[in-house]
Amino acid sequence: MRIKIRYFGQFRDITSKHEEYITVKEGITVSEIREHIKNIYPKIAAKSEILVAVNGNFGSLDQVIEEKDEVAFFPPVSGG
Amino acid sequence: MIKLQKEEIDILDILERIKNPESGGIVTFLGTVRENSKDHVVSKMEIEVYEDMALRQLEAIRSEAKEKFDVHEINIVHRYGELNVQDNIVFIAVASRHRKEAFDACIFVINELKKRVPIWKKEITPEGNFWVDEKNE
Repeated sequence: MRIKIRYFGQFRDITSKHEEYITVKEGITVSEIREHIKNIYPKIAAKSEILVAVNGNFGSLDQVIEEKDEVAFFPPVSGG
Repeated sequence: MIKLQKEEIDILDILERIKNPESGGIVTFLGTVRENSKDHVVSKMEIEVYEDMALRQLEAIRSEAKEKFDVHEINIVHRYGELNVQDNIVFIAVASRHRKEAFDACIFVINELKKRVPIWKKEITPEGNFWVDEKNE
């Protein structure tokens, strides 16, 4: 299935992309998709903290991703 | 009111709107762009936001603060885009019957915002551009 991935902050600079679609197996979890992204982008893998949100919510690592879901990757936030 | 916007924050308008007959005080926090960050001079700042998620997180923080503290109303406005030194970044206003609850709620909101609202700051400096906290890695 194809999943929409979004990147923010420093991760957008690393990937040079705001978003992309990637093909993954059915039933993939947040944890597995994070490993997948780390394999594609070693510079993200090197970061000490990688935050993942599913449909705009911080999800648990074992949450299963559905095809219509939007998964966002970003570093620790720094607003305020 | 919860808002993410590029334009300047109309602080007086927010203060007028949040005033109500029940509240005896309004506590505010205004975050602005500093010209010095650690060891370098900042000329500008770029702020990026994951809008849908940030709005949801801000609504959640406001609800939590209203449950936790005895306050009447909380308004939060955060800017994004390109800002200059001294520009306003974030404005929080809390109205309550007495001052202590408003101060406590205001501190809670800015602390939670800094922890979990998906907003990122990039400092534009003469030595290059750095995402805030990037230099700590």
